[in-house]
Amino acid sequence: MVRLEFRRDRILLRWGEQKYEWVIEPRYWRNPAIGVFLLAIIPLFILPYPNILTMLTSANLYAAIAIPLGLQMIGTARVNFGPQLYLGLGGYTSALLNLHLGWSPIPTLGATILVCAAVALLLSPTTFIAKGLYFSLITLILPLTFLDVTFLYGDIFRGEVGLVGMSPLFNFGKVKWNYLGYFYFSLLLMLLYLFVSDKISRSRFGVTLAAINENEDVARMMGVDVTKYKVFYYVFPSILTGIVAWFIVHTFRTFAGITYLPLDFMIKILIIVIIGGRAFVYGAVPGAYLIAVVEDSLRGLGPINYFVFPLVLIGAILILPRGEGLWGLYHKRHHRDYFPTLHVRR
Amino acid sequence: MCGDRYMLEVRDVTKHFGGLCAVNEVSFSVKEGAVVGLIGPNGAGKTTLLNLICGIYKPDAGTIRFAEKDITGMPSNRICRLGVSRTYQIPQPFYAMTTLTGVAVSVIHGKKRPHMSLSDAILEASYYLEFVGLFSKRDTLARELTIYELRMLELARALATTPKLLLLDEVMAGLNPAESSKALEMIWNAQEQFDITILWIEHIMKIIMNAAQQIVVLHYGQKIAEGTPQEIANDAKVIEAYLGGQYAQSGRP
Repeated sequence: MVRLEFRRDRILLRWGEQKYEWVIEPRYWRNPAIGVFLLAIIPLFILPYPNILTMLTSANLYAAIAIPLGLQMIGTARVNFGPQLYLGLGGYTSALLNLHLGWSPIPTLGATILVCAAVALLLSPTTFIAKGLYFSLITLILPLTFLDVTFLYGDIFRGEVGLVGMSPLFNFGKVKWNYLGYFYFSLLLMLLYLFVSDKISRSRFGVTLAAINENEDVARMMGVDVTKYKVFYYVFPSILTGIVAWFIVHTFRTFAGITYLPLDFMIKILIIVIIGGRAFVYGAVPGAYLIAVVEDSLRGLGPINYFVFPLVLIGAILILPRGEGLWGLYHKRHHRDYFPTLHVRR
Repeated sequence: MCGDRYMLEVRDVTKHFGGLCAVNEVSFSVKEGAVVGLIGPNGAGKTTLLNLICGIYKPDAGTIRFAEKDITGMPSNRICRLGVSRTYQIPQPFYAMTTLTGVAVSVIHGKKRPHMSLSDAILEASYYLEFVGLFSKRDTLARELTIYELRMLELARALATTPKLLLLDEVMAGLNPAESSKALEMIWNAQEQFDITILWIEHIMKIIMNAAQQIVVLHYGQKIAEGTPQEIANDAKVIEAYLGGQYAQSGRP
């Protein structure tokens, strides 16, 4: 029933009428493999510096939020301020269930997925009802409204202080090993998201996604059920973002809406997507690492950091080639790869 | 060449945009295998009618039947899957995609093919690109194509959905005479090879009068004439619409 075929450049798996294929030709996997290898060995050199390890863990988490955002922006064919609402929803769901009902991390993961999926499904009609800037504005307002709610119901969400003391995903006994564990788990999460997004972009669904992003009316005229795709690409990245929040809750063991819901965090993630590579799948990784390093390096400057940080980013955007972000520096234009154009309004 | 079955039946279709009546109680039919021309001066409502047929707009009144199935107000993607495809007056390719992947989208979604992989779709798309003479440009981004190539890409994309009815919207616009004759030949080949019915909006009278077996003329959203090209060329109302009242009275086309 299941047949495996080994070809020069790919492995084919046939199961009934279904066909799956994995490209194994070295020129396609060599570079990502080197990247993953480098990221995996970094901690071995910086083990004595927990602050750098924490910075890299943050970079991985930024990338894990930016990757679904890129997917969402292309799939819904509109720029948005990010699925931060689901970061808040996912974080508070798992934290509250863990603190008040004593749920362990696995059931809280299920609850997080369910809550994010339900809310995203409820809000998904905005992707095709709200035209132009309105959709972007909705995605901007919702996290800010939720932030207000966390202050309004301070007895539940603990406003500015946030929730603390949630049970950890793992505990190796030593702080140093825990930091290392956080890094590798965040790296795993980011790579998993990267793998899923890459698989999508290289499949028939990725081509459809690109067509919707290019011109949704023409795509519809070519038989694409645009509404169905838009709902999926709104809900799926929202769930992925919720899972990042669950991870934060059970590793850092503290969660406050004030950290993840305000405008500056939204802008940071949006910049990662744009500076990384205009929502190109891999772009989120260099984008996130650059932002994390710049942010951490400038922190020592004190309050002036708030002026220098945007200036550095504007400078970076200006010097990057063809508006293709950091990935454009590496990416040798290969036309079969779809390099997205982001649309603010239609 | 034409069958007895009606491929498209438009009955009393009306569409208003605010106070403007873009299409007013228009009725006509297209027989299976026929080439029907839709002509009229600028602003006559031709493209609006095409948009109503392919589901971009919903008519305010009237019915549209395709292959004896009511498609009035149906979404474009469902109409496409039933077998209606179109090209655009101003080419609308996916500019940042290669010609091959652009056509592959049509292959994947033009029919229900849930198990078709991207590589299979690419293989089929390359057939349509070869058909229109763009195979050598398969890895070129659509934004780098000439106007003729864009028109051909649109044709390939439309054919890749395996249509029964092809709606052509001023496919010759912007082409020089040599390109026009190549494009015309391509359309004939497509009709012969894929057995399609064509509803064709065209401003170049020489071409549409030779190509179509039946012509429908719109003016200010209303149908003013319908008949063979010969009948249309001698119709006083058509001459008046195109050239003004004095020509219609003098009988000089």
